[in-house]
Amino acid sequence: MQLLSNARPARFAIAAGALFAVAACATPGSEPSQIADPLEPVNRYIFAANLAIDTTLIEPAATFYRDFVPDPARESVRNFLRNLETPILLANDVLQGDIDAAGVTGRRFFINSTIGILGLFDPAAEMGLARRDEDFGQTMGHYGVGPGFYIVLPILGPSSLRDAAGNFVDYYFDPLNYYADNTDRKYITVSRAVVRGIDARSRTIETLDEIERTSIDFYATIRSLYHQRRQSDIRNGTTPSLPKLDLTSDDADDRTAALKQ
Amino acid sequence: MMADRMIQLRRFVLVLVAATTFSLSAAAQQARADTTEEFIAQLGDRALQVLVQGAQSEEQRAEAFRALLSDGFDLPLIGRYALGRFWRKATPAQRGEYVKLFEDFIVTTYAARLGEYSGETLQVVSSRAVDSDTIVVSEIVREGLQPIRVDWRVRNGDHGFKIVDVVVEGVSMLLTQRDEFASVIQRAGGDVEGLLDRLREKNDAQN
Repeated sequence: MQLLSNARPARFAIAAGALFAVAACATPGSEPSQIADPLEPVNRYIFAANLAIDTTLIEPAATFYRDFVPDPARESVRNFLRNLETPILLANDVLQGDIDAAGVTGRRFFINSTIGILGLFDPAAEMGLARRDEDFGQTMGHYGVGPGFYIVLPILGPSSLRDAAGNFVDYYFDPLNYYADNTDRKYITVSRAVVRGIDARSRTIETLDEIERTSIDFYATIRSLYHQRRQSDIRNGTTPSLPKLDLTSDDADDRTAALKQ
Repeated sequence: MMADRMIQLRRFVLVLVAATTFSLSAAAQQARADTTEEFIAQLGDRALQVLVQGAQSEEQRAEAFRALLSDGFDLPLIGRYALGRFWRKATPAQRGEYVKLFEDFIVTTYAARLGEYSGETLQVVSSRAVDSDTIVVSEIVREGLQPIRVDWRVRNGDHGFKIVDVVVEGVSMLLTQRDEFASVIQRAGGDVEGLLDRLREKNDAQN
Protein backbone atom coordinates (compact mmCIF):
# COMPACT_ATOMS: atom_id res chain seq x y z
CA MET A 1 0.00 0.00 0.00
CA GLN A 2 2.99 2.22 0.45
CA LEU A 3 3.24 2.09 -3.30
CA LEU A 4 -0.09 3.81 -3.77
CA SER A 5 0.58 7.51 -3.34
CA ASN A 6 -2.20 10.11 -3.46
CA ALA A 7 -1.85 10.85 -7.15
CA ARG A 8 -2.34 7.27 -8.16
CA PRO A 9 -6.08 6.67 -7.62
CA ALA A 10 -6.97 9.49 -10.00
CA ARG A 11 -4.71 8.17 -12.70
CA PHE A 12 -5.96 4.69 -12.14
CA ALA A 13 -9.54 5.87 -12.57
CA ILE A 14 -8.61 7.41 -15.91
CA ALA A 15 -6.95 4.19 -17.00
CA ALA A 16 -9.92 2.12 -15.90
CA GLY A 17 -12.30 4.49 -17.67
CA ALA A 18 -10.31 4.26 -20.87
CA LEU A 19 -10.34 0.49 -20.57
CA PHE A 20 -14.10 0.38 -20.33
CA ALA A 21 -14.35 2.65 -23.35
CA VAL A 22 -12.12 0.28 -25.29
CA ALA A 23 -14.08 -2.75 -24.20
CA ALA A 24 -17.28 -1.05 -25.31
CA CYS A 25 -15.90 -0.47 -28.79
CA ALA A 26 -14.35 -3.90 -29.05
CA THR A 27 -15.55 -6.32 -31.66
CA PRO A 28 -13.95 -9.62 -30.74
CA GLY A 29 -12.94 -11.93 -33.54
CA SER A 30 -13.20 -9.54 -36.43
CA GLU A 31 -10.10 -7.96 -37.84
CA PRO A 32 -10.98 -5.20 -40.26
CA SER A 33 -8.15 -4.26 -42.58
CA GLN A 34 -8.68 -0.57 -41.95
CA ILE A 35 -8.75 1.15 -38.58
CA ALA A 36 -11.62 3.51 -37.79
CA ASP A 37 -10.61 7.15 -37.67
CA PRO A 38 -13.53 9.30 -36.51
CA LEU A 39 -11.13 11.96 -35.19
CA GLU A 40 -9.35 12.26 -38.53
CA PRO A 41 -9.36 16.08 -38.79
CA VAL A 42 -7.91 16.43 -35.26
CA ASN A 43 -5.52 13.55 -35.87
CA ARG A 44 -4.25 15.08 -39.09
CA TYR A 45 -3.68 18.37 -37.30
CA ILE A 46 -1.66 16.72 -34.52
CA PHE A 47 0.16 14.62 -37.11
CA ALA A 48 1.24 17.78 -38.94
CA ALA A 49 2.33 19.39 -35.67
CA ASN A 50 4.28 16.25 -34.75
CA LEU A 51 5.98 16.32 -38.14
CA ALA A 52 7.03 19.93 -37.56
CA ILE A 53 8.41 19.08 -34.13
CA ASP A 54 10.12 16.04 -35.59
CA THR A 55 11.78 17.98 -38.40
CA THR A 56 13.01 20.80 -36.19
CA LEU A 57 13.89 18.88 -33.05
CA ILE A 58 13.57 15.12 -32.85
CA GLU A 59 15.05 14.05 -36.17
CA PRO A 60 18.12 16.31 -35.83
CA ALA A 61 18.65 15.02 -32.29
CA ALA A 62 18.27 11.43 -33.45
CA THR A 63 20.65 12.00 -36.37
CA PHE A 64 23.20 13.61 -34.05
CA TYR A 65 22.85 10.72 -31.61
CA ARG A 66 23.32 8.18 -34.37
CA ASP A 67 26.26 9.93 -36.03
CA PHE A 68 28.24 10.97 -32.98
CA VAL A 69 27.64 8.23 -30.44
CA PRO A 70 29.58 5.07 -31.31
CA ASP A 71 27.61 1.97 -32.32
CA PRO A 72 28.49 -0.17 -29.26
CA ALA A 73 27.49 2.63 -26.89
CA ARG A 74 24.11 3.04 -28.57
CA GLU A 75 23.55 -0.71 -28.48
CA SER A 76 24.28 -0.72 -24.75
CA VAL A 77 21.92 2.18 -24.09
CA ARG A 78 19.20 0.30 -25.89
CA ASN A 79 19.97 -3.00 -24.17
CA PHE A 80 19.95 -1.31 -20.78
CA LEU A 81 16.57 0.37 -21.37
CA ARG A 82 15.10 -2.82 -22.75
CA ASN A 83 16.30 -4.83 -19.79
CA LEU A 84 14.53 -2.34 -17.53
CA GLU A 85 11.29 -3.06 -19.38
CA THR A 86 11.34 -6.67 -18.23
CA PRO A 87 8.51 -6.29 -15.68
CA ILE A 88 6.15 -5.00 -18.39
CA LEU A 89 7.08 -7.84 -20.76
CA LEU A 90 6.82 -10.44 -18.04
CA ALA A 91 3.44 -9.23 -16.79
CA ASN A 92 1.99 -9.28 -20.30
CA ASP A 93 3.52 -12.67 -21.16
CA VAL A 94 1.82 -14.07 -18.08
CA LEU A 95 -1.47 -12.26 -18.72
CA GLN A 96 -1.55 -13.75 -22.21
CA GLY A 97 -1.04 -17.17 -20.66
CA ASP A 98 2.21 -17.60 -22.56
CA ILE A 99 4.33 -19.36 -19.96
CA ASP A 100 7.06 -20.22 -22.48
CA ALA A 101 7.47 -16.56 -23.38
CA ALA A 102 7.47 -15.62 -19.69
CA GLY A 103 10.26 -18.15 -19.18
CA VAL A 104 12.29 -16.62 -22.00
CA THR A 105 11.71 -13.11 -20.63
CA GLY A 106 12.76 -14.24 -17.14
CA ARG A 107 15.88 -16.02 -18.33
CA ARG A 108 16.83 -13.09 -20.54
CA PHE A 109 16.60 -10.75 -17.53
CA PHE A 110 18.70 -13.07 -15.38
CA ILE A 111 21.40 -13.61 -18.01
CA ASN A 112 21.58 -10.02 -19.21
CA SER A 113 21.56 -8.52 -15.71
CA THR A 114 24.50 -10.72 -14.65
CA ILE A 115 26.70 -11.82 -17.58
CA GLY A 116 25.36 -8.86 -19.56
CA ILE A 117 26.50 -6.44 -16.82
CA LEU A 118 23.27 -4.82 -15.59
CA GLY A 119 21.69 -5.22 -19.00
CA LEU A 120 24.28 -3.25 -20.97
CA PHE A 121 24.80 -6.26 -23.22
CA ASP A 122 22.45 -8.86 -24.63
CA PRO A 123 24.27 -12.20 -24.40
CA ALA A 124 20.88 -13.93 -24.04
CA ALA A 125 20.03 -13.19 -27.68
CA GLU A 126 23.22 -14.94 -28.75
CA MET A 127 22.12 -17.95 -26.71
CA GLY A 128 18.98 -18.11 -28.82
CA LEU A 129 16.70 -16.26 -26.37
CA ALA A 130 15.31 -13.58 -28.64
CA ARG A 131 13.42 -10.63 -27.19
CA ARG A 132 9.76 -10.27 -27.99
CA ASP A 133 7.98 -7.02 -27.24
CA GLU A 134 4.76 -7.20 -25.31
CA ASP A 135 2.51 -4.51 -23.88
CA PHE A 136 -0.97 -4.34 -22.43
CA GLY A 137 -2.41 -3.12 -25.72
CA GLN A 138 -1.24 -6.40 -27.26
CA THR A 139 -2.60 -8.35 -24.30
CA MET A 140 -6.03 -6.82 -24.85
CA GLY A 141 -5.71 -7.56 -28.56
CA HIS A 142 -4.78 -11.13 -27.74
CA TYR A 143 -8.14 -11.49 -25.99
CA GLY A 144 -10.03 -10.08 -28.93
CA VAL A 145 -10.27 -6.41 -28.00
CA GLY A 146 -10.21 -4.35 -31.20
CA PRO A 147 -8.20 -1.14 -31.54
CA GLY A 148 -11.29 1.04 -31.05
CA PHE A 149 -10.14 3.89 -33.25
CA TYR A 150 -6.98 5.61 -34.38
CA ILE A 151 -5.44 8.34 -32.24
CA VAL A 152 -2.41 10.47 -33.00
CA LEU A 153 -0.87 11.47 -29.69
CA PRO A 154 1.07 14.72 -29.42
CA ILE A 155 4.80 13.94 -29.84
CA LEU A 156 4.27 10.21 -29.13
CA GLY A 157 2.59 9.69 -32.49
CA PRO A 158 0.30 6.91 -33.79
CA SER A 159 -1.78 4.99 -31.28
CA SER A 160 -5.29 3.71 -30.79
CA LEU A 161 -7.84 3.87 -28.03
CA ARG A 162 -6.85 0.37 -26.96
CA ASP A 163 -3.12 0.93 -27.18
CA ALA A 164 -3.18 4.30 -25.41
CA ALA A 165 -5.19 2.69 -22.58
CA GLY A 166 -2.67 -0.13 -22.62
CA ASN A 167 0.15 2.35 -22.06
CA PHE A 168 -1.60 3.58 -18.92
CA VAL A 169 -1.83 0.05 -17.59
CA ASP A 170 1.78 -0.78 -18.46
CA TYR A 171 2.83 2.18 -16.36
CA TYR A 172 1.65 0.28 -13.29
CA PHE A 173 3.55 -2.87 -14.24
CA ASP A 174 6.86 -1.07 -13.94
CA PRO A 175 8.34 -0.78 -10.43
CA LEU A 176 10.73 1.93 -11.58
CA ASN A 177 7.73 4.24 -12.09
CA TYR A 178 6.62 3.66 -8.49
CA TYR A 179 10.12 4.34 -7.28
CA ALA A 180 10.37 7.55 -9.30
CA ASP A 181 6.93 8.70 -8.14
CA ASN A 182 7.45 7.92 -4.49
CA THR A 183 10.86 9.50 -4.20
CA ASP A 184 9.97 12.58 -6.24
CA ARG A 185 12.41 11.61 -8.94
CA LYS A 186 10.15 12.20 -11.91
CA TYR A 187 13.23 13.02 -13.99
CA ILE A 188 14.06 9.30 -14.06
CA THR A 189 10.95 8.35 -16.03
CA VAL A 190 11.09 11.49 -18.15
CA SER A 191 14.72 11.07 -19.19
CA ARG A 192 14.16 7.40 -19.81
CA ALA A 193 11.29 8.19 -22.15
CA VAL A 194 13.34 10.85 -23.95
CA VAL A 195 16.34 8.56 -24.49
CA ARG A 196 14.12 5.71 -25.59
CA GLY A 197 12.37 8.02 -28.05
CA ILE A 198 15.62 9.35 -29.50
CA ASP A 199 16.99 5.84 -29.79
CA ALA A 200 13.89 4.54 -31.55
CA ARG A 201 13.82 7.52 -33.90
CA SER A 202 17.53 7.12 -34.73
CA ARG A 203 16.77 3.70 -36.16
CA THR A 204 14.08 4.81 -38.57
CA ILE A 205 15.55 7.99 -40.09
CA GLU A 206 16.00 6.72 -43.66
CA THR A 207 12.96 4.47 -43.63
CA LEU A 208 10.58 7.20 -42.52
CA ASP A 209 12.09 9.77 -44.89
CA GLU A 210 11.62 7.35 -47.72
CA ILE A 211 8.03 6.50 -46.84
CA GLU A 212 7.26 10.22 -46.73
CA ARG A 213 8.96 10.79 -50.08
CA THR A 214 7.20 7.93 -51.84
CA SER A 215 3.68 8.34 -50.51
CA ILE A 216 0.90 10.53 -51.79
CA ASP A 217 -0.90 10.60 -48.44
CA PHE A 218 1.73 10.22 -45.72
CA TYR A 219 -0.84 10.36 -42.92
CA ALA A 220 -2.93 7.54 -44.39
CA THR A 221 0.15 5.44 -45.07
CA ILE A 222 1.40 5.74 -41.49
CA ARG A 223 -2.10 4.96 -40.18
CA SER A 224 -2.22 1.79 -42.26
CA LEU A 225 1.32 0.75 -41.31
CA TYR A 226 0.60 1.33 -37.63
CA HIS A 227 -2.55 -0.75 -37.68
CA GLN A 228 -1.05 -3.63 -39.64
CA ARG A 229 2.06 -3.67 -37.50
CA ARG A 230 0.04 -3.81 -34.28
CA GLN A 231 -2.12 -6.63 -35.63
CA SER A 232 1.04 -8.50 -36.53
CA ASP A 233 2.54 -7.87 -33.07
CA ILE A 234 -0.61 -9.16 -31.41
CA ARG A 235 -0.32 -12.35 -33.44
CA ASN A 236 3.39 -12.39 -32.49
CA GLY A 237 4.29 -12.37 -36.16
CA THR A 238 2.67 -15.72 -36.90
CA THR A 239 0.21 -16.49 -39.68
CA PRO A 240 -0.45 -13.04 -41.10
CA SER A 241 -4.10 -12.56 -41.92
CA LEU A 242 -4.36 -12.50 -45.66
CA PRO A 243 -7.08 -10.66 -47.47
CA LYS A 244 -9.01 -12.79 -49.89
CA LEU A 245 -7.65 -11.64 -53.20
CA ASP A 246 -10.22 -12.42 -55.80
CA LEU A 247 -12.33 -10.20 -57.89
CA THR A 248 -15.34 -10.66 -55.61
CA SER A 249 -13.65 -9.51 -52.42
CA ASP A 250 -14.77 -5.89 -52.60
CA ASP A 251 -18.37 -6.41 -53.46
CA ALA A 252 -20.59 -8.69 -55.45
CA ASP A 253 -20.70 -6.46 -58.52
CA ASP A 254 -16.96 -6.49 -58.86
CA ARG A 255 -16.70 -9.66 -60.89
CA THR A 256 -19.13 -8.43 -63.49
CA ALA A 257 -17.35 -5.10 -63.56
CA ALA A 258 -14.03 -6.84 -64.10
CA LEU A 259 -15.44 -9.07 -66.82
CA LYS A 260 -17.00 -6.16 -68.67
CA GLN A 261 -13.77 -4.35 -69.39
CA MET B 1 -15.64 -68.29 -52.11
CA MET B 2 -14.94 -66.88 -55.48
CA ALA B 3 -17.10 -63.83 -54.77
CA ASP B 4 -15.27 -63.21 -51.50
CA ARG B 5 -11.95 -63.17 -53.23
CA MET B 6 -13.26 -60.86 -55.90
CA ILE B 7 -14.40 -58.42 -53.23
CA GLN B 8 -11.04 -58.63 -51.52
CA LEU B 9 -9.23 -58.04 -54.76
CA ARG B 10 -11.43 -55.09 -55.59
CA ARG B 11 -10.83 -53.61 -52.18
CA PHE B 12 -7.12 -54.05 -52.65
CA VAL B 13 -7.17 -52.31 -56.02
CA LEU B 14 -9.25 -49.48 -54.61
CA VAL B 15 -6.83 -48.92 -51.76
CA LEU B 16 -3.95 -49.02 -54.17
CA VAL B 17 -5.54 -46.51 -56.50
CA ALA B 18 -6.46 -44.23 -53.62
CA ALA B 19 -2.96 -44.41 -52.20
CA THR B 20 -1.34 -43.66 -55.55
CA THR B 21 -3.69 -40.80 -56.29
CA PHE B 22 -3.08 -39.30 -52.90
CA SER B 23 0.69 -39.53 -53.11
CA LEU B 24 0.58 -38.19 -56.66
CA SER B 25 -1.41 -35.13 -55.68
CA ALA B 26 0.81 -34.61 -52.65
CA ALA B 27 3.83 -34.82 -54.93
CA ALA B 28 2.28 -32.40 -57.36
CA GLN B 29 1.58 -29.97 -54.55
CA GLN B 30 5.12 -30.34 -53.30
CA ALA B 31 6.44 -29.74 -56.81
CA ARG B 32 4.32 -26.61 -57.13
CA ALA B 33 5.61 -25.31 -53.82
CA ASP B 34 9.20 -26.09 -54.79
CA THR B 35 9.00 -24.31 -58.11
CA THR B 36 7.32 -21.29 -56.51
CA GLU B 37 10.12 -21.08 -53.97
CA GLU B 38 12.60 -21.34 -56.81
CA PHE B 39 10.82 -18.53 -58.63
CA ILE B 40 11.30 -16.20 -55.64
CA ALA B 41 14.92 -17.27 -55.12
CA GLN B 42 15.71 -16.64 -58.78
CA LEU B 43 14.03 -13.26 -58.69
CA GLY B 44 16.19 -12.37 -55.69
CA ASP B 45 19.31 -13.42 -57.58
CA ARG B 46 18.26 -11.36 -60.56
CA ALA B 47 17.67 -8.29 -58.40
CA LEU B 48 21.11 -8.77 -56.91
CA GLN B 49 22.66 -8.94 -60.38
CA VAL B 50 20.98 -5.72 -61.45
CA LEU B 51 22.35 -4.07 -58.33
CA VAL B 52 25.93 -5.29 -58.37
CA GLN B 53 26.44 -4.73 -62.09
CA GLY B 54 28.87 -1.87 -62.22
CA ALA B 55 29.46 0.47 -65.15
CA GLN B 56 25.82 1.16 -65.87
CA SER B 57 24.02 4.43 -65.85
CA GLU B 58 21.22 5.30 -63.51
CA GLU B 59 18.85 4.95 -66.47
CA GLN B 60 20.09 1.50 -67.44
CA ARG B 61 19.64 0.31 -63.92
CA ALA B 62 16.12 1.75 -63.75
CA GLU B 63 15.29 0.07 -67.06
CA ALA B 64 16.62 -3.33 -65.87
CA PHE B 65 14.67 -2.89 -62.69
CA ARG B 66 11.49 -2.00 -64.51
CA ALA B 67 11.83 -5.18 -66.58
CA LEU B 68 12.39 -7.20 -63.42
CA LEU B 69 9.29 -5.72 -61.80
CA SER B 70 7.01 -6.36 -64.74
CA ASP B 71 8.35 -9.91 -65.07
CA GLY B 72 8.05 -10.74 -61.42
CA PHE B 73 4.94 -8.81 -60.35
CA ASP B 74 1.42 -8.78 -61.70
CA LEU B 75 1.32 -4.99 -61.63
CA PRO B 76 -2.04 -4.57 -63.44
CA LEU B 77 -3.70 -6.93 -60.96
CA ILE B 78 -2.00 -5.34 -57.95
CA GLY B 79 -3.15 -1.96 -59.18
CA ARG B 80 -6.65 -3.28 -59.59
CA TYR B 81 -6.70 -4.56 -55.99
CA ALA B 82 -5.07 -1.39 -54.68
CA LEU B 83 -7.96 0.63 -56.04
CA GLY B 84 -10.34 -1.66 -54.13
CA ARG B 85 -14.00 -0.78 -54.28
CA PHE B 86 -13.28 2.37 -56.29
CA TRP B 87 -12.35 0.29 -59.33
CA ARG B 88 -16.01 -0.17 -60.01
CA LYS B 89 -16.66 3.55 -59.79
CA ALA B 90 -13.93 4.43 -62.27
CA THR B 91 -14.77 4.90 -65.95
CA PRO B 92 -12.97 2.66 -68.48
CA ALA B 93 -10.78 5.63 -69.49
CA GLN B 94 -9.90 6.29 -65.86
CA ARG B 95 -9.07 2.64 -65.33
CA GLY B 96 -6.75 2.60 -68.32
CA GLU B 97 -4.91 5.69 -67.15
CA TYR B 98 -4.82 4.49 -63.57
CA VAL B 99 -3.12 1.20 -64.47
CA LYS B 100 -0.37 3.10 -66.34
CA LEU B 101 0.07 5.67 -63.55
CA PHE B 102 0.16 2.92 -60.95
CA GLU B 103 2.92 1.03 -62.74
CA ASP B 104 5.06 4.17 -62.98
CA PHE B 105 4.34 4.98 -59.36
CA ILE B 106 5.40 1.53 -58.16
CA VAL B 107 8.56 1.45 -60.26
CA THR B 108 9.74 4.83 -58.97
CA THR B 109 8.75 3.96 -55.42
CA TYR B 110 10.64 0.69 -55.41
CA ALA B 111 13.59 2.13 -57.32
CA ALA B 112 13.98 4.59 -54.43
CA ARG B 113 13.78 1.73 -51.96
CA LEU B 114 16.51 -0.05 -53.88
CA GLY B 115 18.93 2.74 -53.06
CA GLU B 116 18.95 1.55 -49.47
CA TYR B 117 20.20 -1.86 -50.41
CA SER B 118 23.54 -2.73 -48.80
CA GLY B 119 24.46 -6.33 -49.40
CA GLU B 120 21.69 -8.30 -47.70
CA THR B 121 20.78 -11.70 -49.05
CA LEU B 122 17.36 -13.21 -49.56
CA GLN B 123 16.84 -16.68 -48.17
CA VAL B 124 13.75 -18.70 -48.95
CA VAL B 125 12.54 -20.44 -45.78
CA SER B 126 9.32 -22.26 -46.65
CA SER B 127 6.06 -22.00 -48.53
CA ARG B 128 2.41 -22.82 -48.09
CA ALA B 129 -0.81 -22.62 -50.06
CA VAL B 130 -3.45 -19.96 -49.32
CA ASP B 131 -6.59 -19.99 -51.45
CA SER B 132 -5.25 -20.47 -54.96
CA ASP B 133 -1.99 -18.66 -54.18
CA THR B 134 1.31 -19.78 -52.72
CA ILE B 135 2.93 -17.86 -49.91
CA VAL B 136 6.71 -18.07 -50.03
CA VAL B 137 8.27 -17.17 -46.68
CA SER B 138 11.72 -15.66 -46.92
CA GLU B 139 14.20 -13.81 -44.76
CA ILE B 140 16.42 -10.91 -45.62
CA VAL B 141 19.60 -11.69 -43.75
CA ARG B 142 21.54 -8.71 -42.41
CA GLU B 143 24.98 -8.65 -40.90
CA GLY B 144 24.74 -8.51 -37.10
CA LEU B 145 21.02 -7.71 -37.11
CA GLN B 146 17.84 -9.73 -36.82
CA PRO B 147 16.65 -10.99 -40.20
CA ILE B 148 13.63 -9.29 -41.75
CA ARG B 149 10.76 -11.60 -42.60
CA VAL B 150 9.30 -11.13 -46.05
CA ASP B 151 6.34 -13.16 -47.34
CA TRP B 152 5.71 -13.24 -51.08
CA ARG B 153 2.22 -14.00 -52.28
CA VAL B 154 2.60 -15.69 -55.65
CA ARG B 155 -0.13 -16.54 -58.11
CA ASN B 156 0.34 -19.04 -60.91
CA GLY B 157 -1.70 -17.49 -63.70
CA ASP B 158 -1.80 -17.34 -67.49
CA HIS B 159 1.65 -15.77 -67.63
CA GLY B 160 3.31 -18.13 -65.15
CA PHE B 161 4.28 -17.12 -61.64
CA LYS B 162 3.59 -13.54 -60.65
CA ILE B 163 3.87 -11.84 -57.27
CA VAL B 164 0.61 -10.22 -56.14
CA ASP B 165 1.65 -9.01 -52.67
CA VAL B 166 4.73 -8.56 -50.51
CA VAL B 167 4.27 -8.75 -46.73
CA VAL B 168 7.20 -7.30 -44.76
CA GLU B 169 7.14 -8.13 -41.04
CA GLY B 170 3.39 -8.52 -41.14
CA VAL B 171 2.78 -5.37 -43.19
CA SER B 172 1.20 -5.92 -46.59
CA MET B 173 2.38 -3.54 -49.30
CA LEU B 174 -0.88 -4.08 -51.13
CA LEU B 175 -3.09 -3.26 -48.13
CA THR B 176 -0.99 -0.19 -47.33
CA GLN B 177 -1.38 1.03 -50.89
CA ARG B 178 -5.09 0.34 -50.85
CA ASP B 179 -5.60 2.23 -47.58
CA GLU B 180 -3.59 5.16 -48.89
CA PHE B 181 -5.45 5.34 -52.20
CA ALA B 182 -8.83 5.00 -50.48
CA SER B 183 -7.93 7.92 -48.21
CA VAL B 184 -6.87 10.11 -51.15
CA ILE B 185 -10.10 9.35 -53.01
CA GLN B 186 -12.28 9.93 -49.95
CA ARG B 187 -10.62 13.27 -49.35
CA ALA B 188 -11.34 14.18 -52.95
CA GLY B 189 -15.02 13.64 -52.24
CA GLY B 190 -15.08 10.05 -53.53
CA ASP B 191 -13.77 11.05 -56.95
CA VAL B 192 -11.20 8.71 -58.52
CA GLU B 193 -9.93 11.70 -60.50
CA GLY B 194 -8.48 13.05 -57.23
CA LEU B 195 -6.20 10.01 -57.00
CA LEU B 196 -5.21 10.22 -60.66
CA ASP B 197 -4.23 13.87 -60.12
CA ARG B 198 -2.02 13.02 -57.16
CA LEU B 199 -0.38 10.11 -58.99
CA ARG B 200 0.30 12.29 -62.04
CA GLU B 201 1.89 14.96 -59.84
CA LYS B 202 3.97 12.39 -57.99
CA ASN B 203 5.22 10.65 -61.12
CA ASP B 204 6.03 13.95 -62.83
CA ALA B 205 7.96 15.13 -59.80
CA GLN B 206 10.03 11.98 -59.67
CA ASN B 207 10.80 11.58 -63.35
